Amino acid sequence: MKFARFIAAGILAGTMLMPAAGYAADKPVVGLVMKSLANEFFKNMLEGAKADEAKRGDYTLKAVGMQSETDVETQINAIESFITEKVDAIVVAPSDSRALVPPIKRAMEAGITVVNFDVALDEKAKEEAGVKLAFVGPDNRGGAKLAGDALAKKLGEGAKVVIIEGNPGADNAAQRKLGFMDSVEAGKLDLLDSRTAHWETEEANTLFSNMLTAHPDIQGVMAANDSMALGVVKAIDAAGKTGKIQVVGFDNIPAVQPLLKEKKLLATVDQFGQQMAADAIDKALKVVKGGAPLEGWVKTDIKLIMSEDVK
Amino acid sequence: MNTSDASLPGQMRIATTTKTILREAGIGIALLVLILVFSTTTQHFLTASNVTNILTQVTINLILSIGMTFVILIGGIDLSVGSVLAFCAVVAGTVMTLPGLDPSTAVILATLSAVAGGIAFGLLNGFISAYWVIPSFIVTLGTLNIARGAALQVTNASTIYSFPPAFNAFGSQTLYGIPLLFLIALVLVAIGWFVLTKTVFGRVLYGIGNNEEAVRLAGHNVFIYKIAAFTICGGAVGIGAIIYMARLNIASPIIGIGFELNAIAAVIIGGTSLSGGRGSIVGTLLGACIIGVLANGLVLLGLSDFMRQMITGFVIIIAVILDKYRERLTKA
Repeated sequence: MKFARFIAAGILAGTMLMPAAGYAADKPVVGLVMKSLANEFFKNMLEGAKADEAKRGDYTLKAVGMQSETDVETQINAIESFITEKVDAIVVAPSDSRALVPPIKRAMEAGITVVNFDVALDEKAKEEAGVKLAFVGPDNRGGAKLAGDALAKKLGEGAKVVIIEGNPGADNAAQRKLGFMDSVEAGKLDLLDSRTAHWETEEANTLFSNMLTAHPDIQGVMAANDSMALGVVKAIDAAGKTGKIQVVGFDNIPAVQPLLKEKKLLATVDQFGQQMAADAIDKALKVVKGGAPLEGWVKTDIKLIMSEDVK
Repeated sequence: MNTSDASLPGQMRIATTTKTILREAGIGIALLVLILVFSTTTQHFLTASNVTNILTQVTINLILSIGMTFVILIGGIDLSVGSVLAFCAVVAGTVMTLPGLDPSTAVILATLSAVAGGIAFGLLNGFISAYWVIPSFIVTLGTLNIARGAALQVTNASTIYSFPPAFNAFGSQTLYGIPLLFLIALVLVAIGWFVLTKTVFGRVLYGIGNNEEAVRLAGHNVFIYKIAAFTICGGAVGIGAIIYMARLNIASPIIGIGFELNAIAAVIIGGTSLSGGRGSIVGTLLGACIIGVLANGLVLLGLSDFMRQMITGFVIIIAVILDKYRERLTKA
């Protein structure tokens, strides 16, 4: 009896795996190459894409995520197996702006529609490889400037601020820093220090406590993501300076909602991550169905969220 | 007591104690030199608020390092502590935010579940490596992934937040400038010191690191002692998870990445031998302080992020080289 059930379960599992082996002929197949699914942001993005697949029902989604933020090889392998499987479109959020260019070139040469979203491929690397590819994604620099400007407006000219940077080497971290620097210049702020906390709450907490020791007169903080802003706010509370130092973040994650309500976080930036992969897939499918190829930079929505807007 | 006294001749025990004190003095001097350098080169290093900061920043690593000391003393290693910390934190965070619990019950249940989670992983690490005689390096590399995956699975990769306000406030409270969280760590240091130096159990752990076969022949159940060392480490990780939550008011499945390396560094800088058998909790306390003081002081000095990382690396290597010389001196 038990053995029979075992076999039945095996057959059932086999049939469930079938679509992955031989796709239904009529529906186009989209290969989605994501960054680390351990990151809430990308996890939500994947869920948005799956919801889109279920809603539209006219394509098959194959998604691959990475083990960690820097696991470039998994992405390259994923693209290569998508080429072998002859998918119709590959939608990719590159973990490395340069390393992904060669496999993407091979995919395009195999006649696959490729859409680059979330993080832009390096222009120079594309040029050297002779790849012409549009980018669908948010303006991280513009978004960071929105948050930075909100801080500058609140504090006024000459205010002393610090920047907490994301991972050195990550394109979005670099763009957000540039955006903050734009605000520093435009708002005539006094930038005391700028350091990385590698996107991490605990590291940002430690780093900002130490910055505050070195510069007890800090008035404002620009954090390149909300996870780090959480650590900064906690450090301000611990130093007994609640309300005396203004903080802006980026990403509008659920965990900062209470901080926005309590006015401990002045502003953050929403780049509608949940929709980003789904949008890129929709754009890829239009091209697959004979629409005009994408060109240049297709900017996706960003929005400044101020604490006074959060009820 | 008797068995241990019988297996360790009196002469040797005194020599061991002297060596330990000499070693700890060396590390203490290194720490003092660092403190001296930073207090002369930076303005704010020795201010009360900065000392509070350093102690807060040392706390989590210190707690993990205490547990790690037990494991390294028996010649093992635990690479899973960072992931297990994340697992314990999300389990505790889930319990703490359960609807309908009053705050104090929620905090107590969360603490118990964090420690239970840590102990469970410790038992698993200890049992697998002792029963099948597999190097703990490999076993804990496996549980590192199991715990991280489990933490992500439990939370579906999302961050848990909004803990009771009193719990959040507790995380930044101080007593005469000393963070309460650090005082908890100090209590654990005292307990660890007592267990390792004043009990048969502790001496047997040293014995396993020095000569496992001899301990076995002396009639001790090495299997149980090994499991116990890993379990203590796991329990410490569970406490560390609660401390993390109190300090930062969040629990997320991606916290704690690389914490195992900081803990191992603190233990090794503190003079504990990676091959087991010698070292002390006091050394670990000093080692954790050296790492904390260095991280803090280098930021105050205004050094770049990349320079900071390089200097921390150099200090770890120098500490191990110095330890080699100390070993030779004390042997002579």
